[in-house]
Amino acid sequence: METAGKTTEQSPSPAISALAMRYLVLAALIVIASLGFGFANENFFSLANIGILLRSISVLFIVSMAMTFVMLTGGIDLSVGSNVAFAGGVGVIALTATGSAPVGFLAAILAGMSIGLINGIFVGRMKLSAFMVTLATFALARGLALVIYDADSINVSNAIFLWLGGTSWGNVPVVIPFVVLVFAVLSVVLYRTTFGRDVYAAGANFKTAFVLGRRPERTLVWVYILSGALAGLSAIITVGRVSSGQPWAGLYLEFDAITAVILGGTSLFGGRGRLFGTILGVLLYGIIINGLVLTGTNPYLQSLIKGAILLSVVLLDSWTQRGKQR
Amino acid sequence: MTLKSTSALAAVFAAAATGSAFAGNDDALDIVFINDGHVAPYHVAWLAGFEDAIAAYGEAFPDLEISGRWLSAEGSLERMIQQAEVTINEAPDIMFVNAINVDAFEPLVAQAQDAGITWIAVHSAMESADYSFTLGDITNGRNQGMAMCALSGGEPFQVAIMLGQAGNPSGEARRQGILEGISTCDNIEVVAEQPADWDTVRAQSIAENWMTQFPELDAISGVTDAYMYPSLAIAANSGRSDLQLYGYDGDIPILEQMRDGPVMADILLSGTREGWNFVQMAYRLHRGDELEKVYDFFTPLVLTEENHRLALENGFPENIEVYSVDQALDVAANGFREFGPDSVR
Repeated sequence: METAGKTTEQSPSPAISALAMRYLVLAALIVIASLGFGFANENFFSLANIGILLRSISVLFIVSMAMTFVMLTGGIDLSVGSNVAFAGGVGVIALTATGSAPVGFLAAILAGMSIGLINGIFVGRMKLSAFMVTLATFALARGLALVIYDADSINVSNAIFLWLGGTSWGNVPVVIPFVVLVFAVLSVVLYRTTFGRDVYAAGANFKTAFVLGRRPERTLVWVYILSGALAGLSAIITVGRVSSGQPWAGLYLEFDAITAVILGGTSLFGGRGRLFGTILGVLLYGIIINGLVLTGTNPYLQSLIKGAILLSVVLLDSWTQRGKQR
Repeated sequence: MTLKSTSALAAVFAAAATGSAFAGNDDALDIVFINDGHVAPYHVAWLAGFEDAIAAYGEAFPDLEISGRWLSAEGSLERMIQQAEVTINEAPDIMFVNAINVDAFEPLVAQAQDAGITWIAVHSAMESADYSFTLGDITNGRNQGMAMCALSGGEPFQVAIMLGQAGNPSGEARRQGILEGISTCDNIEVVAEQPADWDTVRAQSIAENWMTQFPELDAISGVTDAYMYPSLAIAANSGRSDLQLYGYDGDIPILEQMRDGPVMADILLSGTREGWNFVQMAYRLHRGDELEKVYDFFTPLVLTEENHRLALENGFPENIEVYSVDQALDVAANGFREFGPDSVR
């Protein structure tokens, strides 16, 4: 497996080249979209708007990076949005009960991990469909959140708990350097550790990985736990952003994350993709959302535009792949 | 009826006591309406009324550069917060925000006010907002429940209530009102309560389940007319012409069903007229009128004349204002008359 990992790093395969092409396309789209929105509304390039844009996609960055790990294994995690609400609820309740922000942080992350553990055991150990399992925990976590909150929000005033999601240094939200840090740490985990190589191996060929003794079922468990932990982290950011715990936080977040990960070139079938592509995918998605709001585009058209862009990228990807095969 | 409601609004304005200074300039008025959705029939009418009113006011007052746009968060709290942040950075004159949860928007209200924007909380009142545009949901729900009492015939009567999204303040207030109204008589049993998340499709499956689970069900009460569409279809398909429906919103297609159909009562909000009222309110603020900090939208109960007469015979309070179906349809379809440019000249 280590050899396979090194091969992937050192001698680019056609798949990697296709990814490089995807990144170029994404980068070009980011530039074109930015220029277009900037031309339509000069405020687009203001520092304040850039800060708003980055803050608004900070949670999506983190959840999408987690989703990249999951999708690299050939899986999917539909529970992340609900898990953000659930983990936030547990964190806020723990904070309220103890008055301690660290206890609240820990509770949120452990709560997120517990949903991840359930996903991991059912998908990894019991070999159940990731789609079905996480669809179930999607409902389970949202239901738990509604019960915990009694369907109502809980105000939070603890400055330490709110710091990460709510503080800005000038126009730069504190959460942005934090997201960069998370990206760096996850990159090391994915590209420089045995676990990272196992993630690729489990997605590329589960049976082969099993035969080679890489224990892919255990890898899957840990990948879903990681996804849950990052959902817990996202919950802390979300609570900080809105100064309250919200039972409906994270609604549709899983779909935004899956969209961004696919835009970033990660294969739905596993084994192919990189975190950098996901970052580009989230950035493009965020710019489009921000620009459409800023330019006052009719919301009935917004879904159409988002869908058209996604379809274009998928078609371009398919066209690029065919070009490589000729 | 139109005159009556306009007079009621005029009385509200006359009684004005509070309100923040309006920060817009003299010859321009930029309004942004951030809503929680845009696909439910009520939303569609609401947003169309808002757009029509912007155009009408622009035409009627050419010296005023009036502009407006609406955004839909599609049910997502995070999306709505992002939209509010972007909008604050754009510094319009007035923001109407139908917050998914008001607590989450407290920090943004202060931010908007610092930027000189007038923040109007829609449906759920906010103490920190400059104004709150409210519906009197508890009173409306109570009126619906009391109408059910009066029209249930005094015999044992089973009702199932279809709720909004769990925790939504407006939906919870409507539920509270309906239960209060029902509690004024002792023959009605609430056999089920179920959130349908304002979703017509979900409402359909819930109503289908109820028809099977409660074969003796006498009525379905809903906190929005969006639930009446599937309920009407299911009642018709299952041959339950005796099933009574109690709605809330004043959607024109549902009001039309009241004449001969199973819809016994409705609450006349009407999305169209609410959209028109937003622009009228913004215009009044712009020209310096003082409005009450909590602005109550006039929302009467709607009954057919025959049912109103029957209800009164059965003890329905005479002091509750009731519109006939014709009156309600006229008001619902002609928001421009009640809240258009002529109402503020």
